[in-house]
Amino acid sequence: MTPSLLRPDQPLRLVDTYPPSAPARQTTIRVEDLSVVFDAPSGQVIAVDRVSLAVAQGEFVSIVGPSGCGKSTLLNAMAGLERPFEGQVLMAGEAMLAPRPEIGMVFQQPHLFPWKSVRRNIAHGPRALGKPNAEALRIADNLIEMIGLTRFASAYPHTLSGGMQQRVAIARALANQPRVLLMDEPFGALDAQTRAVMQDNLLELRERINATIVFVTHDIDEAILLSDRVLIMSAGPGRILKDLQVSLPRPRSSAIVAEAAYIALKRDCLDLIRSEGRRAFEQMEIRT
Amino acid sequence: MSVGGRSSASATARLSVLVAILSVPAFTGVWELVARSGFVNAVLFPPPSTVAVAILEWIRSGQFFADLMASLSRVAAGFAIGAVGGIVLGVLTGRFRLVSSLLSPLFHILRPIPPVAFVPIVILWFGLSETGKLFLVVWGVFFTVWLATHIGVQKVDRGLIRAAQMLGTPQPQMLWEIVFLGALPYITVGLRTAVSISFYTLVAAELAGAFAGIVYRIEIAQQNMQTGQVMGGLAALGLLSFVADRFFASLAERAVWWR
Ligand SMILES: Nc1ncnc2c1ncn2[C@@H]1O[C@H](COP(=O)(O)OP(=O)(O)OP(=O)(O)O)[C@@H](O)[C@H]1O
Ligand SMILES: [Mg+2]
Repeated sequence: MTPSLLRPDQPLRLVDTYPPSAPARQTTIRVEDLSVVFDAPSGQVIAVDRVSLAVAQGEFVSIVGPSGCGKSTLLNAMAGLERPFEGQVLMAGEAMLAPRPEIGMVFQQPHLFPWKSVRRNIAHGPRALGKPNAEALRIADNLIEMIGLTRFASAYPHTLSGGMQQRVAIARALANQPRVLLMDEPFGALDAQTRAVMQDNLLELRERINATIVFVTHDIDEAILLSDRVLIMSAGPGRILKDLQVSLPRPRSSAIVAEAAYIALKRDCLDLIRSEGRRAFEQMEIRT
Repeated sequence: MSVGGRSSASATARLSVLVAILSVPAFTGVWELVARSGFVNAVLFPPPSTVAVAILEWIRSGQFFADLMASLSRVAAGFAIGAVGGIVLGVLTGRFRLVSSLLSPLFHILRPIPPVAFVPIVILWFGLSETGKLFLVVWGVFFTVWLATHIGVQKVDRGLIRAAQMLGTPQPQMLWEIVFLGALPYITVGLRTAVSISFYTLVAAELAGAFAGIVYRIEIAQQNMQTGQVMGGLAALGLLSFVADRFFASLAERAVWWR
């Protein structure tokens, strides 16, 4: 097990909060011909356009794409929060029609409950699933230590910075020990140090419990460092443009950014994104 | 300009504080003088000293306490029932489309009718019983609280509800911990408005016929031409509803504890 990069003094890691014997259930995600349409004042908006993808059990898949291309909508549909207009989302073969607690979600905004302290926010999930109060709080305390906010355990969300709030949101999603994690730019608001620690934690977690992770990010380095595959989405209406296999060996460290394979992969990504971004921008110009 | 301006500004500030302190005593003094001067009929427009004597007499006879309790218990019981009913139904209509389709049209038709207008039918239904008075206060409070709750629930951040759904929150916990608390800032505003409405409907309820109560006492005094007692009753009612409003305002501030 690799020690945490920048906080070797930090004794507790994310993996410690999961029971090591937890059974890894077969959870494959299949998105089949999914379209999501919104009713906007200006008419219908196609946010996701006939997207198909599959994520294998234990796989780490990142999604990158220009702003407004439908990444959040796709993730929400996978979580059962957005009804498909067409197509379907299958989790382990079952259609996702409503949220399920074994699927954890970290939203783009923290969406913390403003009337609950950090501790109570994180304990909300275990309590909702019927755990006794004391146990829920114990789980929360472990996760608070993991995200380095012990001092703020009883603080209310509005007294925290954006990055701290996002860390609490991540801890809250992990408290139910989900086997599938859907993460929407979870580290976007974090500083470089905390981000590195959280990335390490996430990789460790994945290896230990074989979690399936779908991860939206704007950061190509992050996507390549963490993922088995990177999906590049086209400008809205969102479709999947490219499915890139990241066949760099694991465990990875930030040193891989110097390797030739990494550089080639990153160049491919950037080229695609740049041309796609230009197209998106031009599209917007034409529309307005 | 600078020094002179500032000192004259602070002089104005001091003067306005002084005027504010003297305002009520000054008007009371003028009232006393006018009422005693003989320009006006002192029976219809008694001086404050007469009102004060009437109030003291009211308290000494023991009737004041009985009247106060009668009025207060009507307001308190009516407020509690109306508020709880309004909050519960407001959460349900705000959260569930079907419940809203069922109840909201009816509530929107009934809500604009001033509660006072129900006095005649309440007398037909309940006679002069306490139930009828309770009904009027409940009626007035309920719709205000219901509407505030209904709107508040619909304004609850959808992201919070989604986050709670993802965590497997069961329905009762969702309604209580997320929807109700999310709407609480709106609900407290509705409750505070309902406090003054409950006093408003109390007046109608007691005027319609009662055997004790502050407004009942005012009415009896009017029939006996005891104008001092009438004014004393008004003062008591004003004070009571002021205290209730202040009490509720401070309660409402504390209710939204996370701000
Ligand atoms: N609730 C909604 N109602 C109407 N339109 C919506 C709604 N949510 C999203 N959209 C539209 O759907 C499209 C995709 O939005 P989405 O939030 O999924 O983009 P995104 O890829 O996550 O962008 P970003 O990288 O900026 O977060 C956008 O055009 C947006 O305007
Ligand atoms: Mg997004």
